[in-house]
Amino acid sequence: MSTAACQSHKAQGFTLKANMKNSKVIGPPTAGAFLERPAKPTAFRKFYERGDFPIALEHDTKGNRIAWKVEIEKLDYHHYLPLFFDGLCEVVHPYEFFARQGVHDMLEHGGSKILPVIPQLIIPIKNALNMRNKTVICTTLKVLQHLVISGEMVGEALVPYYRQILPILNIFKNKNRNSGDGIDYSQQKRENIGDLIQETLEAFERHGGEDAFINIKYMVPTYESCMLN
Amino acid sequence: MASVSVEQMGDGPKPKSMVRAKRWDDEVENAYRFQTAGYRDEIEYKIIKKTEAERWPVGPGYVKKLQRRDGTFYYYNRKRECQDKENLHALLILILSVPYVRLFYNLIGEPRRKVIVFL
Repeated sequence: MSTAACQSHKAQGFTLKANMKNSKVIGPPTAGAFLERPAKPTAFRKFYERGDFPIALEHDTKGNRIAWKVEIEKLDYHHYLPLFFDGLCEVVHPYEFFARQGVHDMLEHGGSKILPVIPQLIIPIKNALNMRNKTVICTTLKVLQHLVISGEMVGEALVPYYRQILPILNIFKNKNRNSGDGIDYSQQKRENIGDLIQETLEAFERHGGEDAFINIKYMVPTYESCMLN
Repeated sequence: MASVSVEQMGDGPKPKSMVRAKRWDDEVENAYRFQTAGYRDEIEYKIIKKTEAERWPVGPGYVKKLQRRDGTFYYYNRKRECQDKENLHALLILILSVPYVRLFYNLIGEPRRKVIVFL
């Protein structure tokens, strides 16, 4: 028996070659939806290395904390807040810590200064989520939850931008770990992406006003309301 | 009732003794915040900075913002920041100022004025 008869050729589906004898149809290549994208150089890192930020890193015995050289209330939020949000893409210390803690402090103490800056925050948020890096996504989701409660009308101001930031959440929504009857410690540490996305969408719905749910449902069809029914 | 002489030097009353804190409460939280900013307690902060510490207007009114000795600012959350593991290293320091001397001896074993210090 000739060896040629035993050899099978690999072929893509729905091609003439696939219909030949001894051809083995292979599946389509993966689309790479969960594939991590490399981080691009951020404006945050550039400004940090130039010393343009009014912050200093303090290594105390309790952990790291930001010391602000200027009072947060006196900062120009239009200039600094988008820069700090841009730093959410960072994964390297100390950039990652400064960005995360800086965003937290500015949102905590911003009050009414946050609302006018919302349109400038969307691109940095979208860039951070599009990296598809687990740590960056978790950090960004926590920042989004903080953002919607940071000031009045901020949740409603985010509604027109759902179509830019929710598609990634739709991709990762079912990324839960099936540990059987074991304990998932990532839930306690709030690192489970699926649960974080559910929490974030619920926060959007609670603070987004009347149109929030329908807009979320349009982008994330499997989401169910936490306020209706 | 025994009398106590309290040294009041130019920078305020001095601590007399200390007790280790057993559990967390609002006072421990505020003292933790002053300590991480580099001050012994609120009294020292008022003496050095000549101003009251800014506090959150809601809830228990924890300290919100403190200015350190080098001029930089520390900001704190409106919710609890001092974790339970920090309490194990907390020390209670008794501050005896003149108005509280008699009160202290009326309340033996229950300090009236205290400051929590973290090592």
